[in-house]
Amino acid sequence: MFRIDRRFLRSFDWGTLLFLLVVSGMALVNLYSASFPPAAWGMPPYIKQCYLFLMGFSGILVILFFDYKELHFWNYPLYIFIVILLVVVLVAGNSAGGAQRWINLGLFKLQPSEPAKLMLVITLASYYSRKEVDGGYGIKEMITPVALTLLPFMLILKQPDLGTALMLIIIFITMTVFAKVNWQTYLLGGVLGGGAAVFAWFYLLKPYQKRRIETLLDPGKDPMGQGYQILQSKIAVGSGGNFGKGYLEGTQGHLHFLPERHTDFAFSVWGEEWGFFGSLFFLGIYFCMLFWGLYVAMTARDRFGVFLSFGVVMLIFWQAVINLLMILGFLPVVGIPLPLVSYGGSSLLTTLLGLGILMNVRMRRFQVGQKKDV
Amino acid sequence: MKWTSYKKLEELNEHDDAALDILKRRLMFVGVVIVCFVTIIFTRLWFLQVHKGAEYKERAENNRVRKGTIVAPRGAILDRKGRELVTNRPSFNVVLVREDSNDVDELLKKLSSVLDVDISTLWEKIREAGHTPRHIPIRLLEDVDWQTLAYVENHNQEFPGIRIEATPVRVYHYGDLIAHGLGYLGEISKKELAARDPKIYQGGDLIGKMGLERLREKDLRGEKGASYMEVNARGFEQQLLKDVEPLPGNDIQLTLDAELQKAAEDLMADGDKAGAVVAMEVKTGRMLVTASSPVLPIGQFVGGISHKNWNALLENPKHPLINKVVQAMYPPGSTYKMITAMAGLATGVIDQNTVLYCPGHYSFGNRRYHCWKRGGHGAVNLKRAISESCDVYFYQVGLRVGVDRLAEFANKFGLGHKSGIEMEHEKSGVAPTKAWKKKVKGRKWQEGETLSVAIGQGFNLVTPLQVCQMTATIANGGTQYLPQIIEKVTNPDGKVLEQFAPKVVSELGPERKFLHFIQEGMREVVQGKRGTARKVRIKGLTIAGKTGTAQVVRLKQYKHLKEKDIPYKYRDHAWFTCFAPVEDPEIAVTVLVEHGLHGGSGAGPVARALLDKYFEGRLPLYQEEEKGK
Repeated sequence: MFRIDRRFLRSFDWGTLLFLLVVSGMALVNLYSASFPPAAWGMPPYIKQCYLFLMGFSGILVILFFDYKELHFWNYPLYIFIVILLVVVLVAGNSAGGAQRWINLGLFKLQPSEPAKLMLVITLASYYSRKEVDGGYGIKEMITPVALTLLPFMLILKQPDLGTALMLIIIFITMTVFAKVNWQTYLLGGVLGGGAAVFAWFYLLKPYQKRRIETLLDPGKDPMGQGYQILQSKIAVGSGGNFGKGYLEGTQGHLHFLPERHTDFAFSVWGEEWGFFGSLFFLGIYFCMLFWGLYVAMTARDRFGVFLSFGVVMLIFWQAVINLLMILGFLPVVGIPLPLVSYGGSSLLTTLLGLGILMNVRMRRFQVGQKKDV
Repeated sequence: MKWTSYKKLEELNEHDDAALDILKRRLMFVGVVIVCFVTIIFTRLWFLQVHKGAEYKERAENNRVRKGTIVAPRGAILDRKGRELVTNRPSFNVVLVREDSNDVDELLKKLSSVLDVDISTLWEKIREAGHTPRHIPIRLLEDVDWQTLAYVENHNQEFPGIRIEATPVRVYHYGDLIAHGLGYLGEISKKELAARDPKIYQGGDLIGKMGLERLREKDLRGEKGASYMEVNARGFEQQLLKDVEPLPGNDIQLTLDAELQKAAEDLMADGDKAGAVVAMEVKTGRMLVTASSPVLPIGQFVGGISHKNWNALLENPKHPLINKVVQAMYPPGSTYKMITAMAGLATGVIDQNTVLYCPGHYSFGNRRYHCWKRGGHGAVNLKRAISESCDVYFYQVGLRVGVDRLAEFANKFGLGHKSGIEMEHEKSGVAPTKAWKKKVKGRKWQEGETLSVAIGQGFNLVTPLQVCQMTATIANGGTQYLPQIIEKVTNPDGKVLEQFAPKVVSELGPERKFLHFIQEGMREVVQGKRGTARKVRIKGLTIAGKTGTAQVVRLKQYKHLKEKDIPYKYRDHAWFTCFAPVEDPEIAVTVLVEHGLHGGSGAGPVARALLDKYFEGRLPLYQEEEKGK
């Protein structure tokens, strides 16, 4: 099990590591500003985040010792464990803002919905890689993945955390479409999905959730509420101009006009202080990291490896896109963090573990099949 | 879940390269999708940061910078000798900044108990200002004494949100002195606010409401300072970014003499006289005294006058609200006779030696016009006519001159039009002409009315200032100066912005040579044996003057009464106007006492006392000359 080939070292994924280190460094620099001036008590967020990065990198190191195909075996025990955590959080979790999302572990608060996203990626990757159907999956084959998705989805929705819950659906759709389904499945999925959305709007969504969506459609309607947050974020990013106000010089962030400035709106701080070109630089590297991830998928040795790396990339990608579109005023405030950049232990560890899996896939690209394609 | 439907783990190692390649090809699509989203995000970033960057920069600045205003100290008002009439002093107010206080209720309870004020009045203040933002201080107590000040300052830890704010307030060093002329300040009204530059005035500002405070608002107000405070999203002040000091207002020095003015006001207040005292420099037009009695209780107006006080002022029979110097009109009475005399001399209908006979009355038409002296003056020349104020003499002169030419000369001496002094609501008075009567009354002029006009009754109306200006014009040899009350305006750096300079309104032509005879007559009024104002004489000073009695009503029923038995409001107004010294005139003084009965006894003593004060320490003047003669 702990077999480390010299080949593994030779084929170590320097690309992911390099991108990861650069992005993490910039994220920490930004986090220092986003939580500036430091609070009078408690550990500053950027220090905490440093520890979490160290924890995450250690986690990656451990992951690299195992072959990712072991995940076929660990998949279901992990899945059940996460579902249990999701149930626990509903029963005994800490609430904030009317939602129960955290389990207090002392050192940090675990938000089980974050690892649930990665868990779903692994589960679906495992399922789709083991079951191959010509011409795309039919309705019958879809029952299992749908059920596997809906269970954590319902539990997270119950917290309630609509944003994360929808994230699971997005991951499911992305991976399923990537795995290819037949047209009957598309049809049924479309009908059922649309029906569920209509049903949800009228019966399931809480008033504040509806308001968020309405605010997006008409921001003037609610200037001091949701619209206020988006507006302040736009002002922060926009006022950065070409080259920004300078590091630690952002006023929107430091004077608290920006809501959630070190979590969901962390990138607004970057935009304000580094301007358009600074933002291009940051996001350029960030998306290059994702393209590298796609390249890893491209060079994976097997179907599972492709699905795993593709899933991890898309998990990060969708969260980043949703977060950025929210910050830039194109989406409602949904509480999706920018992976690696937003402060938050559960999200960070989940993302790092995901990238660990990606590196694992990359390292073991030659092991089976012996295709020399790189 | 059917595990059997899965490939076994061992089977996974068997590789289907073709199927894997198909799967990997789909990654190209994914790449395209990612590129699309990245393009959207970058375009949006460009739009917000580059295209709209300047706009958002401004909005960010507006977010964080809060501009506060610093009240500018208002300019001071000084008298001609530099005595301070109105200045500023700091007023310490106890204010509440709601955003700094977490428990206003508790705070007010504590404050009301230690400072011994009614808590409901404090709540009332907060309620009134309830709509303002929470960072705007609310004044709870205004102008507190130093004990309260010291207590609050020393215990500021116990009162979060309570602060002491210092604002300049007006100090009136001479109380109500020149109240009508100086005016007062009040909070700007909505109407005033709407008519003014919002960059200069904001709600709650003080603005001149009357008198010079209003007329010279622009000079006095100065420029507000500003403090630019950085605030955070909750409105808490973070740091001072910039402080722009206020520019104090310009100081105004008046031509008025505070001591003289005070003497005049005191003289009028003695015996509770209603009326006006006006004094001016005859050779410049500088005003020395502009006193209206009773004085306006200016203190009642500061911060808004109460309904009760206002009604009391309104119903006061002595009309304290009216500035009688320029806003009240009276018949000039015999003081007008100088005009009639001048018109007679200038038009040649009489000369200085013309003698007319006064049997005590004059018959014109089918009416008999009486002289004030029932027994008659006998044969009188011009000098006696003036000094003894013979009505019959002037009836005849007036009749020969005609009313229109009388008015023409009245105008040359300042009657019948506004003087242009810097005072509000000045009345122009009436110097009647035939055309005027046709226009205003709609009737033809009756020749008999000319007789009334000639002795200063009838349609004639003048303000005390106009009579004073007339006197000054006689005294200085025929030059009508604009009466001015401002000596100079100085900016805070000491630079003089405006300096007094005499302004000539009009000048007499060659007819000025006749003024000498009129001056002679006026001199006799005071200095002559039979003059009507002998009581006004001051040892060592030659005074020329003229008494006057302005009829209020002409009612038979009061004729038989003794003067003191006539009801106050039906008694005649008393005029006395004079200048001194005759040898080289300096000052003209006019006194009007409403319902004062006789010029010589009712108004003369006031003028005498004022001249006494004015020439204090300089008498005797021209004694040698007198002896020499």
